[in-house]
Amino acid sequence: MTNSIQNEDKMTNSIQIGHLLRASTTGFVAGCSVSQLEAPAFGALLRAPLDKNYSVYGLITDIHIDDDGLVRQLVTAGNVSPEVMHDNRERRIVPVEMSVLAVGYEQGGKISHLLPPRPPLSLDVIYLCSDSELARFTGAGHFGYFRHILQAKELPIGEVLAAHILDVKRKTKNETWVEAATRELITLLRDDYPTLMSVLGALGEII
Amino acid sequence: MALNFQQVLDKIKQIGMGARARQESLDVLREHARQLLDSWADKTAELRDKVERARQADSNIRCALPLDERLDASTPEPDPSTDEGQNPVTLLAADGSQILPDRHAALQYSLVNVGAIAMQLGSGQSPEVFTDSSLLFADELYTETGMLTKEAIEQRRDIAERRKLLELAPDYPAPLLALTDGPVELWGAKNGGEDDYRKNLEIHKSVLSQLQAKNVTVAGYVDKPGADLVVRTLEIGEFSTDDETKNIRKQHSLRGVTDRWLFSFLPAGSRSAVFGLQSSSRVHYTGDLALHFFYLNVGYTKHPSLARVEFPKWVAEDADKLNLLHAALLQQCRVMGARPYPYILHRAHEIAVVKFEEKRQVEQMLELELRRAGGEVEEGSNKQSAKDLPGKTRTK
Repeated sequence: MTNSIQNEDKMTNSIQIGHLLRASTTGFVAGCSVSQLEAPAFGALLRAPLDKNYSVYGLITDIHIDDDGLVRQLVTAGNVSPEVMHDNRERRIVPVEMSVLAVGYEQGGKISHLLPPRPPLSLDVIYLCSDSELARFTGAGHFGYFRHILQAKELPIGEVLAAHILDVKRKTKNETWVEAATRELITLLRDDYPTLMSVLGALGEII
Repeated sequence: MALNFQQVLDKIKQIGMGARARQESLDVLREHARQLLDSWADKTAELRDKVERARQADSNIRCALPLDERLDASTPEPDPSTDEGQNPVTLLAADGSQILPDRHAALQYSLVNVGAIAMQLGSGQSPEVFTDSSLLFADELYTETGMLTKEAIEQRRDIAERRKLLELAPDYPAPLLALTDGPVELWGAKNGGEDDYRKNLEIHKSVLSQLQAKNVTVAGYVDKPGADLVVRTLEIGEFSTDDETKNIRKQHSLRGVTDRWLFSFLPAGSRSAVFGLQSSSRVHYTGDLALHFFYLNVGYTKHPSLARVEFPKWVAEDADKLNLLHAALLQQCRVMGARPYPYILHRAHEIAVVKFEEKRQVEQMLELELRRAGGEVEEGSNKQSAKDLPGKTRTK
């Protein structure tokens, strides 16, 4: 099953960026080694295919790199040689963790912006969505997934939205979608002036 | 209550009351030891003769064998400019861990895990790491004399570490330095395991000889050494009668003084003289394999941190190899900052260690496979079951 999924994702040009560490309905945490860190970015859309007909989508809302006792000791030593740096980044088992907010799913070829019926499972492979997958997910429905972001009060909502919209803008070149997304956000936040100002402030940096 | 704190507290108070007197007594012994080191410093041949006489009285005596350097010699860190033009040194390190058979567990098995790492200093490249895991089950847990003992499994681990170093050595350019944690000497031969020990000893010596043939500098690093090898030699130096020599085991005029304290005068980065190791294993490690050691201050002058570094004769007699070992250990210890210890040995340990969750996973996989194949899986002992009840946190 895993092979068939990986082949399928080769066809869609998705990049494997890590494996699932833990999950719930509203989000999940993926882990990868530092050497895999070049691909994922804050605000990027990820896909966790559970089987051929069911995938969960999510946005990266945080990337964190935990320390451990050895790393803390090494930084006090001052001169960290390139070999030691590579060793810690590439060989030691200290994963980079990405917190991902679930924003929808795909079942039987149909994309939904509702929360997924089942979360992904431990060690499921997580992919960075290709440009076409990003366009397909963001173009489905009418920005329904924005509400998951806006409800996640613990997140830097404006920054997540700005990073996501900038990602879509760069990868899909769809200016119309960007304008429509901004209008939708203004509508959704019309009764929440502080959040609206925060979101518009962040969007002002990218539009 | 799990502990009678009142009894423990009474004892702790007694210990506290005697602390000053013990310290004063130790200071006197230390002062005497330092005086002996000074007085014997340039009389190494005479002291070596005394050690030889003591060895004839008791071949198991464990002490230092003075060589030609002054006893209080201090060799500073090798000048790195002398290495210019040489290939960068490649460090190999191996460490092992083991799961011992537990008769209270549901499954009887053992596992030896060896972690190894290869790092080319100054290359800027990522080190390579290796793990070899060997699961022992059923007949593999037994020898001709019965079930594998803890010591036998630990010896297998030690041998597996050295074999891994030997296996990796041809893959890397010279100069090569192969490190293990602890003494080079193979420990064992207790609890009736002499046959196993002898077999493992032969393998160990063969591996060492092969490493020598490959021109590898081999060393064992003993952190915070508790030995009194040189102090013991100074005690022997004080013997003035044959009776004292014959009753050597009862003669401990400097008990409590350690070599770690004795060599705390070494400036930062300096090593002591090289000594031969006189121990019961001297009859086994002969010729180029004869074991030697020096002390090395990997800390600071005002806050010394002494390590004992053990190596075979072929290293002891090669100034270039000694310098390479000396410099590489200091470089590796400095990576670790305020708590100096060779980084590469810590990494080898980190790779080798079997975590509790991993042990449980192995047991689950083994149990599942046995059940699937129709094999018998016993239950754990009732005693262990009781110990595992929630709320019990004692391990013994």
